[in-house]
Amino acid sequence: MPSTQPMIEARGVQKWYPNGFHALRGVDLSVSKGEVVVIMGPSGSGKSTFIRTFNALEEFQEGSISVDGIALSNDLRNIDAIRCDTGMVFQQFNLFPHLTVLENLSLAPVVVRKRRRTEVETQAMALLERVGIAEQASKYPGQLSGGQQQRVAIARSLCMEPRILLFDEPTSALDPEMVGEVLEVMRGLAADGMTMVVVTHEMGFAREVAHRVVLMSEGQIVEEAAPEAFFTNPQHERSRQFLAQIL
Amino acid sequence: MTSIQPGPESGTNQPLRPARPAPESVQPSWAGALRQELFASRTDGLVSVLLILVILAAALGLLRWALAQAQWAVIQANTSLFAIGRYPIQQQWRLWLLVVLVAGLSGVSWGLLRAFPRADRSGEIWPFNDRLAVVLLGFLAAWLPAALALGLPLQLRWWVITALLVTMRCLAGSWGRSLPSRLVRLVPLSWPLLYLFGMVLIAGGLGIPRVPPSEWGGLLLTLLMASFAILLSFPIGVVVALGRRSSLPLLRWSSVLYIEFIRGAPLITLLFLGQNILGYMLPGGWAPDRVWRAAWVLTLFCGAYLAEAVRAGLTAVPPGQLEAARSLGLSMPLALQRVVLPQALRIALPAAVGQFISLLQDTTLLSLIGLLDLLGTARTVMANPEFLGKNAEVYLTLAVLFWCCCAALGLGSRALERRLDPTHSPV
Repeated sequence: MPSTQPMIEARGVQKWYPNGFHALRGVDLSVSKGEVVVIMGPSGSGKSTFIRTFNALEEFQEGSISVDGIALSNDLRNIDAIRCDTGMVFQQFNLFPHLTVLENLSLAPVVVRKRRRTEVETQAMALLERVGIAEQASKYPGQLSGGQQQRVAIARSLCMEPRILLFDEPTSALDPEMVGEVLEVMRGLAADGMTMVVVTHEMGFAREVAHRVVLMSEGQIVEEAAPEAFFTNPQHERSRQFLAQIL
Repeated sequence: MTSIQPGPESGTNQPLRPARPAPESVQPSWAGALRQELFASRTDGLVSVLLILVILAAALGLLRWALAQAQWAVIQANTSLFAIGRYPIQQQWRLWLLVVLVAGLSGVSWGLLRAFPRADRSGEIWPFNDRLAVVLLGFLAAWLPAALALGLPLQLRWWVITALLVTMRCLAGSWGRSLPSRLVRLVPLSWPLLYLFGMVLIAGGLGIPRVPPSEWGGLLLTLLMASFAILLSFPIGVVVALGRRSSLPLLRWSSVLYIEFIRGAPLITLLFLGQNILGYMLPGGWAPDRVWRAAWVLTLFCGAYLAEAVRAGLTAVPPGQLEAARSLGLSMPLALQRVVLPQALRIALPAAVGQFISLLQDTTLLSLIGLLDLLGTARTVMANPEFLGKNAEVYLTLAVLFWCCCAALGLGSRALERRLDPTHSPV
């Protein structure tokens, strides 16, 4: 169960793209340790942009974000520290195609955290075991199915021992029959008490796993509620429209 | 009126059809493939027969000239000139030593490549191509020195050098795996060291007498200039390509200026220009004579074109790769070095090798600024009254020599490409 200690604290975040588009219009969100927050919303609503600000993949112009007590600023050391503690899983997996699965997992711990390769590889094999693809360790990403690649991507994030995991539409690029295996891994992580912020349209996952569902529209948070309340009794007109479209 | 009824095989509980072997038309036999490729229809057959006749006629004509009419004495009498120019005879042991070292290290590297196949593949120690290469090497070692009418001691040297290469290949292939891994990791590192050592051997210094560049010539000079330009232009190309994509305006502008200036002028112009102004632009000891000035011009020339090849490679790497690396905490230099550049350079490799091949051929322009590279040597030989009118023999030899060098570059790059390609995997 989530504690009250905040892991992510975003206050009044405003972002404009260089072309002048106002992508985030004063977003507040606080995520507690061990909490699973699902962010939904129509495309272009800023949900991906928002979670990408948490590890400085996107800049923002106004407001403040702190992750695990470290304020995001232009200080490069802070950004690197936050990135080490914040895992990110992408829609397109973004595995490194020139490295084997095992090397994908061990690269960052070895070159960033300066840990011993043998020790990291033992841990990486245990993680691959956990996501169910230990037997593929010496293959290259291009030789795996989409579902397997996404599970490797999750294991790669876990290998840095992050305190928070961010998921940016982790199942949207997958064939339908592979969505289940990835959600299963994410369910397991939530059960182990990992703090997770998940941008997804998987209603079943949100209902079952999330502690809170957030609906974004036009760069702001429209509704924030427990999943059951959100899906059965949405308060906001925009939420009702959105649910009507995806159901 | 017929009602739509399920066919006999589409019932709900029918077992799925198992896979069966492909019919012959999918995997035809050798003779079948030949028939399909060359004589599929009457027109195909006619074109094939005509082409085969033309090719045969040309090949026969060339062969008859080469064996009966051509007088190869012009090559036999000038072997040493074509190979090393006017390099002093009493210093030639240095070049022999270099050849021995290169042959030995090549053998070791070749064997180790086979002993350590890629992680996801089962590698043979002696694949068919390697056996073929050894047979070819043996034939060349036996035939070429004799055909060039080298003295018996010289022939013997080439036999020993070839034997050394093949022996090292066998030893490294069989025992490479039992060597300590530290020793194995030294092998790729020893190539740049050997290059530097080779430079010292050729030019002198460190206690051995100097041989000035004006006395280098022939194949030696051509290979030296080409390899110098290729090796140095590579880092230049990478840095300039990164500079062109940098967010620092000054770096970006100077990269663009450099690339566009070099690409806007013909190499021959730059070579003449370099002879006149490089002396003012580079630190004193860097370009003391015509040869070094030309080497720098070739390097800068190749670097600009290479930068464009590398830039194309960088553009082809999806931005998600950099984002993933950064989100794992890799700093910008680390992300470039470990994630982006390995992929970009692999993509740029074919274009880069094409650039290297044309650079190798462009070294013939050195003869126009008065250097005795292969072409320059050939022109002095043909100007010799003793060998007047032997142009065909000389030019054919030159063409074959260049063809061999370029083929080696191409073969090497394709092997490298296959080894680096993460999606190409035999079942």
